[in-house]
Amino acid sequence: MITETLPAEKREPRRLDEGTIRNLGLIGVLVLLVIIGIITRPELYSDPAWVRNNILVILQQASAIGVVTVGMTFVIIGGGIDLSVGAIIALAGVWCTTVATQSFGAAGMIFTALMVGIGVGLVNGLLIAYGKLVPFIATLAMLVAARGLAAQISDKQTQISTNETINAIATTRIFGIPLLVYILAAVAAAGWVLLNRTTFGRRTVAIGGNEEAARLAGINVKRQTVLLYVLSGLCCGIAAIMLTSQATSAQAGMANLYELDAIAAAIIGGTLLSGGRGTIVGAVFGVLVFSTITNLFAINNLETEVQNMVKGGIIVAAVLIQQFRYQSLTQLFKK
Amino acid sequence: MSALSRRRVLFGGAAVGAGALLTACTSNNPTENTQVNTNEGNDNAAPGEKVVIGFSAPAADHGWIGAITSNAKAQAGQYSDVELKLTEAGADAATQRAAIATLIAEKPNIIVMLPYDGKELNAAGIQAMQAGIPVVNLDRAFPSAAAYRLQIKGDNYGMGLAAGAYIGAQLKAKGVSSPVIGEIAGIDSLELTQERSQGFTTALAVYGFKVANRRAADFTVNGGQQAATDLLQALPKMDALWNHDDDQGIGVLAAIDQAKRSEFFMVGGAGSKAAIDTITKDDKVLKATVTYSPSMASSAISLARLIAQGKGMSDLVELQVPKEIMLSSETITKENAAQYAKLGF
Amino acid sequence: MTAPEPEESAVPQGTEDQVVLRLHDVVKIFPGVRALDGVQLEVRAGEVHCLLGQNGAGKSTLIKVLAGVHHADAGEITWRGEPFAPGTPQAAMRAGIATIYQELDLVDDLSVAENAFLGHEPSLFGFTRRRVTASRTREILARLGHAEISPRRLVRSLPAAAKQVVSMARALSHDARLIVMDEPSAVLAHDEVANLFRIIRELTAQGIAVIYISHRLDEIRDIGDRVTVLKDGRTTAANLPARTTPTRELVGKMTGRSIEYVFPPGRDAPPEEDPLLVVENLTRSGEFADVSLTVRPGEIVGIAGLVGSGRSELLETIFGARRPDAGTVKLAGKPVRSVEAAVRGGMGMAPEERKSQALLLDEPIFKNMTLASFTKFAKVGFTDTGGERAASERTAKSLELRPPGVIRPVRTLSGGNQQKVVVGRWLLGGTRLLLLDEPTRGVDVGARAELYQVIRDLAERGVGVLLVSSEVPEVLGLADRVLVMREGHMIHESPAAEIDEDTVLNLVMAGSLLEGEPA
Repeated sequence: MITETLPAEKREPRRLDEGTIRNLGLIGVLVLLVIIGIITRPELYSDPAWVRNNILVILQQASAIGVVTVGMTFVIIGGGIDLSVGAIIALAGVWCTTVATQSFGAAGMIFTALMVGIGVGLVNGLLIAYGKLVPFIATLAMLVAARGLAAQISDKQTQISTNETINAIATTRIFGIPLLVYILAAVAAAGWVLLNRTTFGRRTVAIGGNEEAARLAGINVKRQTVLLYVLSGLCCGIAAIMLTSQATSAQAGMANLYELDAIAAAIIGGTLLSGGRGTIVGAVFGVLVFSTITNLFAINNLETEVQNMVKGGIIVAAVLIQQFRYQSLTQLFKK
Repeated sequence: MSALSRRRVLFGGAAVGAGALLTACTSNNPTENTQVNTNEGNDNAAPGEKVVIGFSAPAADHGWIGAITSNAKAQAGQYSDVELKLTEAGADAATQRAAIATLIAEKPNIIVMLPYDGKELNAAGIQAMQAGIPVVNLDRAFPSAAAYRLQIKGDNYGMGLAAGAYIGAQLKAKGVSSPVIGEIAGIDSLELTQERSQGFTTALAVYGFKVANRRAADFTVNGGQQAATDLLQALPKMDALWNHDDDQGIGVLAAIDQAKRSEFFMVGGAGSKAAIDTITKDDKVLKATVTYSPSMASSAISLARLIAQGKGMSDLVELQVPKEIMLSSETITKENAAQYAKLGF
Repeated sequence: MTAPEPEESAVPQGTEDQVVLRLHDVVKIFPGVRALDGVQLEVRAGEVHCLLGQNGAGKSTLIKVLAGVHHADAGEITWRGEPFAPGTPQAAMRAGIATIYQELDLVDDLSVAENAFLGHEPSLFGFTRRRVTASRTREILARLGHAEISPRRLVRSLPAAAKQVVSMARALSHDARLIVMDEPSAVLAHDEVANLFRIIRELTAQGIAVIYISHRLDEIRDIGDRVTVLKDGRTTAANLPARTTPTRELVGKMTGRSIEYVFPPGRDAPPEEDPLLVVENLTRSGEFADVSLTVRPGEIVGIAGLVGSGRSELLETIFGARRPDAGTVKLAGKPVRSVEAAVRGGMGMAPEERKSQALLLDEPIFKNMTLASFTKFAKVGFTDTGGERAASERTAKSLELRPPGVIRPVRTLSGGNQQKVVVGRWLLGGTRLLLLDEPTRGVDVGARAELYQVIRDLAERGVGVLLVSSEVPEVLGLADRVLVMREGHMIHESPAAEIDEDTVLNLVMAGSLLEGEPA
């Protein structure tokens, strides 16, 4: 029981609000995008059924990348980076759709995808924590290697999933909402609890915020580092199943550049690239902003190039705001 | 098998059950359906002097390129007088240049090459020609006429024209006056994608139609699925859809199923086996596909052999093989699908 | 030894117009730290003015202010009679102040000449005039007595001493009137130092002023004219004669008390119990050798020694954060080989660099306090934030943390209160043995007294304390038993009551400052 909240503390919650302010900002951006949509395509937005479906499409398009971003957010908060997420998805997707794996049925396919994700994440983590490789280098190498292995396993062919259960994941709706959206919600909720309510989350923030302090407080930094990359790999395994189901197939080139989208979404969601701070809710909002932009450009039949430029602009703006806010902090580090 | 043991190391005991059962066999095995010219009965088929053909194509990251290489191999296997020297072209234009230089040093009678980029490998073509080795360029043209002896390529613009013409004719027949037409392109920054789209627009314009919404994907199933989902949401009602590439078409069809849409018909591109099968079964929105066939690799090997042996094409009056051949893009529908089945890749 | 002592002729007779540089009450504030807090300095033309001070005394900041890297927040700087505030390093160079940093800032892959004229290459219409550059470099090198260094040679291929000559050539290429040298002898062998001094004498003979920074008293005696001592960002003594000021006085100004120490009243010796910590023959090559010590429950053991004597390294090794080359550490009879084992066994450490080694500055106080114990509060992996806060608040109250409350980020606290958070972390963790490395660094006077009381209270409760401090009075005032460390060796041990400050200072200083050549 904490009853004795002192008056001085009443002025405190400013810092706690910081995350909320940012999330409100992201919601503001989302609202703005919807308003632009309403103005530019009023005839579409006048149909309630279309609007309802559009929301679901945006959520569904955000689902797989959202799951990856949750894992990425953990890695970045823990002071690392995972450039191999797209490649892990490709490897997991390809491996779980080989004829051999498909013969084990849906459960075998899901098991394989998750194990591949965890396994590759484990290799990343061991290389970084015990091999002392810089995360950027280790996961960059894994990006190349895992896509290569995926190409070899698939013999560079598109592998079609003939498993009806797997393919049904993308089409199943519960209470009118796609199963994929539930998966994202579940992963995000689990991620939120893991980050904010467990010792795992506390250790993650500690090693990302000040690795030396964490080490000298008796935290096993290496083990935690490994676990973070395993978590990211696991998220990639889940995303691989989702994408395979959506495309009813997998190939070595799938989930191209997902690493960039995931990092960008985490960052506009308020995750500090240097580690130690970040939010799951912000990351999910980040993904939704990107997904909504894509949708807005699609309904207006605008070129993807312009869309990419807008995305780039949003990333820069978000980071500029972040830098502005932490200017005092960086100044201190310079000293 | 080293790959297998590597996987074991990677994943330990947990996945050994799944890993050990992995075999090279995948769901669409390229060797089942290679496109081979077996029409014997003319003099050219008779064994002649021995020909060594050097072959170089980019590492396959796509079904179409995979089919190019396997077609070349299979066609060469048909001739007792042909020896095919395959070189790995590696991952980019620079590696392919190096591979060609090595190939030239081995002095084959002729080189068949699908360059990463015609402009970037133009010099390599000239180098081979100067060394007295004729070059057959597959699909991606060299800017300099001195860089090749024969160019054989598909018709990207023609693909767009064929798709547009088919869609226009169908819609006109149905009496649709102002149809909503969607387009899903491949990688937008490629010249071939631009050519396909231009052909499509031009052909539709003949009927007074235009594209209502165009999304670019990335030639992957996954990209096709995402782009199609966006397109379907943007066009709540559609009359026709052209998708540039049958490989990414798997994803496009999945997205259409997931959105439970069927009020329109779809035309594919390239002519994959999966697409031809779907057209034959006629149980999906995919009603036609316009070809851009990797069979050109088989033809390239046949013609390279003739060039090396100094023979001409027997149906032509000329004593030598012509300098340029452009395949026409044909439209495969349910009616003629059986005839094209053997050309699907 | 050396022929005619140039002494009297070289020491300028102090008339005001010979003063080229004057600093008055210069202040430089970094967030949370007053790095310079009232520096006075007066440098005359043609003299070697030595700056003396411990690590962290503000010497580096001062140099950077002169070099135009930092800008003073308050105070006056006068350079050759004019107010001086260089906006950039280039501006300082143009004004005639050149700085030779400890880490030589040469570009390894450029030639000697290119380095000497880096940033102001002789050029014509944008093309560098290589021949002119080379010949002018050759002149300068000859002036420095090093004509044998080829201007065209790559700096990478030069030995350390020659690189330093190149740095000096760069200073002269700017026609510097004041050259600041930051520990120039640190990278040099003994005979090379003699050569360096010869060059310095030639420069001063030409009227160039030199600010010379070194830890080595023998060098200062040899080359210096006057000495200014810094401590905690302040000038504690100015313009002492370099040759005649007694060592005791210099050392006293460097390490001595600039503040009042208020220690808790003395206490009875702790009960004789079996030792909690037993360290035997602990060795890490290059850092410390053959160290044995014990700490009993409730006992405060203090280690006195200068920075660089291996104290911090020793503490970290005892804590399991560094791997010893030889020797053992046992906590309550169990060997300690990792930080996790140390923490599990009930050992805690407050490291020297609080901000970079101990704190998550942007996290709330209570999460910092429970950093070593949150798993103990947790149930099946779920943290108990409420329990952590409640316990942290109790601890904060007992430590008189100010301002009270445990939700604000640690960054907002003063140095002393940040230290209380670190100590509180180990109190919460149920620590039996606490290692304190410079616990009062950057802590103001009032907070120091409180921290001393906290440490004493801990001992009263039976916690063993191993304390390291470069402030001798602190060690003497707090500890029950005092160990003296010098250059990696334990050289003395006695009960605190039986030793005084002078004795400790003499023991601490003897080797490192007076006998030249530290290890």
